[in-house]
Amino acid sequence: MISRIFIDIAVACGISTFLALVLVIAQRYLADYGICKVTINKKKEVSVQGGISLLGALSDQQIFLPSACGGRGSCGTCKCQLTSGGGPVLPTEKPFLSAKELGDGIRLSCQVKVKGDIEIQIEESIFNIRRYRTKVIDIVDYTYDIKGITFQLIDPQRIDFKAGQYVQLESQPYGKVKQKAVRAYSISSKPQDNGLIQLIIRLVPEGICTTWVHNHLKVGDEVFLTGPYGDFYIRDTEADMIFVAGGSGKAPIKSMLEYLQVVGTKRKMTYFFGARTCKDLYLTDEMKAFEKVFPDFKYEPVVSQPCPEEGWEGKLGYIMPYFPEAIRDPKNTEAYLCGSPGMLAAVQKALVELGVPQAKIYFDSFG
Amino acid sequence: MEISSFVLFWAAIFTSNILLTNFLGMCSYLSVSKEVESSFGLGMAVFFVLTATSALNWIVYHKILVPAGLVYLQFIVFIIVIAAFVQLLELIIERYAPALYYTLGIFLPLITVNCAIFGVSLFLVIRNYSFGQSVAFGAGSGIGWLLAILMLAGIRKRMKEKLVPLGLQGAGIALIITGIMALAFIGFSGIVNVQ
Amino acid sequence: MKLTPSEEQIMARMQPGVITLNGFLGFDTRNLNEIIADDEKVLEMLGISAEELAERMQYFSDKTFESYDLPVLIDEIYEVETNIVRGKLPCPFRHPGIYRKTITTLTNRKQQITVRWTALSIHTIKEHHFFEGKGSPFRLDPQILKKALLD
Repeated sequence: MISRIFIDIAVACGISTFLALVLVIAQRYLADYGICKVTINKKKEVSVQGGISLLGALSDQQIFLPSACGGRGSCGTCKCQLTSGGGPVLPTEKPFLSAKELGDGIRLSCQVKVKGDIEIQIEESIFNIRRYRTKVIDIVDYTYDIKGITFQLIDPQRIDFKAGQYVQLESQPYGKVKQKAVRAYSISSKPQDNGLIQLIIRLVPEGICTTWVHNHLKVGDEVFLTGPYGDFYIRDTEADMIFVAGGSGKAPIKSMLEYLQVVGTKRKMTYFFGARTCKDLYLTDEMKAFEKVFPDFKYEPVVSQPCPEEGWEGKLGYIMPYFPEAIRDPKNTEAYLCGSPGMLAAVQKALVELGVPQAKIYFDSFG
Repeated sequence: MEISSFVLFWAAIFTSNILLTNFLGMCSYLSVSKEVESSFGLGMAVFFVLTATSALNWIVYHKILVPAGLVYLQFIVFIIVIAAFVQLLELIIERYAPALYYTLGIFLPLITVNCAIFGVSLFLVIRNYSFGQSVAFGAGSGIGWLLAILMLAGIRKRMKEKLVPLGLQGAGIALIITGIMALAFIGFSGIVNVQ
Repeated sequence: MKLTPSEEQIMARMQPGVITLNGFLGFDTRNLNEIIADDEKVLEMLGISAEELAERMQYFSDKTFESYDLPVLIDEIYEVETNIVRGKLPCPFRHPGIYRKTITTLTNRKQQITVRWTALSIHTIKEHHFFEGKGSPFRLDPQILKKALLD
């Protein structure tokens, strides 16, 4: 009787063990893709562990493609051109790719699994991107909803960027938020201070990352930044310049002006800052001070809805009507814009009507 | 009377459709039949798994359980075999057909607990089918299940534009439709008897 | 009725902290299908479709886009303004595309009702008949919405 029970148990266990063994072996051979080769721009070769996403494999190699959602396939910013390998386009990628991009082999690198050798094409500037471990050393309140945060770079200790570029900040889980979030913010400090990064961050209603920055981040905290990204930077010409910013769009322009202060310039510059009320104005004295630094610079804050009690005596309404007096020769004027899409559209339209060439209007739309 | 495998295959689709005559596998049938595309995905997955597990379970039952006198363990062993096979299938599909994995993949783990699969394995034991008959019955039942869920999904798609009384919306009307479909399938039942 | 795996994934993406800080479901304990079905019943009672409401919302949002930061008065009744902040949101139903964080606020002077919505709300209402769960910061009750937009 006892032996009968043992035999029964042994047979049942034997079947289960056999099946488990088959699964383990299958896992070993089917899920292991070995070491795969990723060839970048036909010259650099890296070896990565197969089975993980291309985005993750590249970031293990210190190559950081831009990504705003952390590889969940919901932002579509980690696009990258595959010239060979990578398997079929997945349904999760299709929504983000246009017909032309599909034809060019553009894929979402977070959805492509490295399962064999792959060849990719990326822009050279991406090699300059690093992930920085930093420490918060200063937090200032600029307005009721805008803060300036200064980070000291710990590892690596130096960053090489152009004034106007942006970095991505990783927020940590807090409260109800269980995941990390990654968001892009423009650098507001000058490139010459290459051991520091300052960001100007406006609190976004319902924003996961900005709420963390505004309510949870303290001096001394460790934060990870990745960058620099972006093609919004000063073109090295002799043309007159118009800067236009609204809200937290002041950040890249501040970086540009501080950069120009160090290298020196004789270019004619006008800086329009559009605010809704006087409460939304900030860094006004610092910007006014640039008028003494540069031979031909003017800072023009414009308020659209001043409350009567604020006693605003400066320029009123929209910024566009004030453009003509700042433009000497429209053909020889460059415009640098940073603000909300609605404002950018209106400003661009006004500038083109005044004769500023579309090709000389550079902008950083809230991406 | 011995039924040929070929007849059994067609019988499993039409005259004794696993879903419409035995009402097995209702749970995923009701919840996944809202879109034609996903019901096709699930139906295909059920078809694969049914065909393979009916073969596997026949071997396990007749070559291991019966000789060892362990017939009473059939329930637990069948479930283990089905679960292991689904896992294996998932691995294989992920490796060799990633696009299929994405359309099908999320439904695969669901199938482990689909009672149609388990039911077919038990039927082939109770009805004492041969190996060939078992595979034919498994494949036929899979296609039958796929057919039934596709029909319901198609009907439900059209139903969206129709006014359904409040109390019957959702599962209520789906069950009524299934009942009517089952009645229609009874029309085939005189052709072959597989009981 | 049980949810399919893809519906469960959608509900997971609607939780706080995944796409938005407080999520799309608020304190609602109903599941996704029940929320949508209940609002569809209300729409049927009101005799208006979700598509019509969404189109009306889009109309107001478009009207304010050109005036980027001042309120616009439309038809003497509707005071509308749109704020655009940094960032974009994906659709929790995994539909193509990403939606700018625009917040349109509309005040119906006659009815004394203020409602607000985002570009994503217009999409979820139009394509998914999803008005968000009770207690969600951007919950739009179809009854109130209809009153604000059309009366």
